[in-house]
Amino acid sequence: MSQRRRGISRRSFVKSAVAIGGASAFAACTNREQVDVPQGTDDLSTLPQRQHAWNDALDRDDHGNVVAPRHRVVLLLDYVGEGTPSDDEREQVEHALGSLERAYARGNDGLLVTVSYSPRYFSRYDASPAGVELPEPEALAPFEDPDLDRPDAVVHLASDYGQVVLGAEQALRGEHESLNGVEMAASFDGVFEVAARRTGFVGRGLPAENQDVEGLPDGDAVDEDAPLYMGFKSGFEKAQASEDAVTIDAGPFAGGTTQHLSRIRLHLEQWYEQDSRYQRVAKMFCPAHADDGRVEGVGDNLGSDSGMDECPVPHDSARSKGMVGHSQKSAEARRDGSPRIIRRDFDSTDGGEAGLHFLSIQRSIADFAETRTAMNGTDVSDGSAVGTRTNNGILQYMTVERRGNYLLPPRAHRSLPRPDPAA
Amino acid sequence: MQRRDVLKASGLAAAGSLAGCNGLFETQSLRTVPLVEDRPDAVYVPSHVEGMEMIGMGTKGRRAVGLMYSYPHRFWTVTGTRTEKVSLREEDSVHLMATVWDVETKTVLPVDAGVTVDVRRDGESVAKRSPWPMLSQNMGFHFGDNFALDGDGTYSVVVDVGATSLARRGSFAGEFADPLSVEIPFEYEQATRDEITFEKLPDRKGSRDALSPMQMDMVPLSTAPSAGDLDAMTTATTESGDATFLVAVVEDDDGPYLAVSPRTPYNRYVMPLMSLSATLTRDGETVFDDALPAAIGPSLDYHYGTTIPSYEGGEELTITVDAPPQVSRHEGYETAFLDVPAATVTL
Repeated sequence: MSQRRRGISRRSFVKSAVAIGGASAFAACTNREQVDVPQGTDDLSTLPQRQHAWNDALDRDDHGNVVAPRHRVVLLLDYVGEGTPSDDEREQVEHALGSLERAYARGNDGLLVTVSYSPRYFSRYDASPAGVELPEPEALAPFEDPDLDRPDAVVHLASDYGQVVLGAEQALRGEHESLNGVEMAASFDGVFEVAARRTGFVGRGLPAENQDVEGLPDGDAVDEDAPLYMGFKSGFEKAQASEDAVTIDAGPFAGGTTQHLSRIRLHLEQWYEQDSRYQRVAKMFCPAHADDGRVEGVGDNLGSDSGMDECPVPHDSARSKGMVGHSQKSAEARRDGSPRIIRRDFDSTDGGEAGLHFLSIQRSIADFAETRTAMNGTDVSDGSAVGTRTNNGILQYMTVERRGNYLLPPRAHRSLPRPDPAA
Repeated sequence: MQRRDVLKASGLAAAGSLAGCNGLFETQSLRTVPLVEDRPDAVYVPSHVEGMEMIGMGTKGRRAVGLMYSYPHRFWTVTGTRTEKVSLREEDSVHLMATVWDVETKTVLPVDAGVTVDVRRDGESVAKRSPWPMLSQNMGFHFGDNFALDGDGTYSVVVDVGATSLARRGSFAGEFADPLSVEIPFEYEQATRDEITFEKLPDRKGSRDALSPMQMDMVPLSTAPSAGDLDAMTTATTESGDATFLVAVVEDDDGPYLAVSPRTPYNRYVMPLMSLSATLTRDGETVFDDALPAAIGPSLDYHYGTTIPSYEGGEELTITVDAPPQVSRHEGYETAFLDVPAATVTL
């Protein structure tokens, strides 16, 4: 008897090469992409002292928005040794990272890489990083129950080319003698082992190409132009903090930042099959944007600004419209009119599920927690027609499954830092 | 093979295996029962009535979760004063309904955090979503949505219930503050589903009335209290937008408590997810003018209320509906309670 199967096994799910990983995926990408990736500099002293200083190296679109690198690999790493790392290991990690920088130029068509460290890593020294509040991760809403990530370190690899993130990953794992014509002086082999691997993509066309996953309707619900599964642009220049604003400005880790990484599962069948375009615009941006038809297509017409100045405060929409928009709530977390985090998030098919790896950087983890509190809209739902999730931005369509907090040190201290590198 | 063809093929196979095939054709026809023409902007009798079947229930502490199903059907979501019709998908197998209640008082809890339903089979998630808070004529308030299953077989339905942050009164104080999760087994068979009653209502449809509430032994309905049930200093009733508003002032330790309990006509179901505010005047002077947050308690049930500075009798209360109930609507409710003008009542 033939039965339709729903669930993962039903899907004729074709994973992208980046999602699969490994040597054959690297070969397949290299074959298909047919590009000469520019080599990096020989003089590493010319590179920015901030690991997170990506924006100057990245392209800008017609509106001045930073163009996010299209392919991502994030590796959660456990330190192999007992106790605290040695200077030899520190040097090995630095050589490995330096080799990546020599192999690939920084930029969309090359590679951007950061390494960050968890509270658990610093606990090896029975200490906290000097001058930085780095709390263990925790649930950030009364309605979420995430698993908490506690690897030692996290590497974030980003490029417009799948072969670059895969090549860099393989090289760090010790599987390439040379990369893009440059010798790998070292790898992470023997120092770190990979505890988890997360992959994904962001940018026009990629969500539509990767929509045959659980959590999305069958067919082609996702717009070809959409950079993310939910169908709208994000990362508008004016909705992002500046790199200066998220940089730690004092102490031995000055020039660094903090990173939060969550894994969010998306449930977008209702979003695409039951909500109207009006509802999607209202819930993503604000009801006023939907009433006035301010968002065309995926939102390119908004330019560099999602237009939150033209939305009423969330409480007013909640009281009178019975709903409130996601961006509208998030804008409440601004400090002196400026956002407090930089989103460097990307969508994912990991596990065969539509997902979002929400990676953000901010001066302190508290900046992230407060931004997330604003997004929860709990103060908005209390005393109004808005539910905890119903008509409350996009909360109905997501489940936060994992959270982790990290210190992303300045480049000088990126390799197995001591809690007080100045000491 | 296109999905439609697959459905057709499996439908034919099922028909061949049945002695009669009434169920099959009934199923086909229900999907095309047209909407009532010229629906009033009020509660009306829908084109048909469907039964429902209990799947099972789970209990943790004071809370019970009941899970029921029926045929998949159309409903309307609400954002602001707009409704959006949700049509059936070809692949939809059932309409799943979850309801949460307090076992001690049998009070339905329209918890603000909602529920998440994960339908699993062989350890895999078949469908996971947060069903809409809903109002239907035969069931009242519940959480529901249409789900596509894998066909006949054994499923496990995990229902996660969020913690409530609603104000809780009386014996509800401090209760329901933790999330809970129950797992309910579900043996699904299309042939059994097709035995659920389904009756067209050619004579009653469109009239200003409502279907009778379901009689279920184990599952309480979200019925609001009548004035006589309350131990109140005063009660009064007014109507607007086809909703009835029972207003009560009850004596609390910290002063008089003003409760506004909007409910559906005919069946007296509570109406969650509204923005309500109230202005209380005495001899032309404003005594109170503010929003009324939602609250729940064993006697007042789900309502909107707050403590007021004083109550003497004879005050005039104006109830303003800033946003109508944002609950999704089953057929017969989708045109009602959307345009709800302010209403005034003397206490």
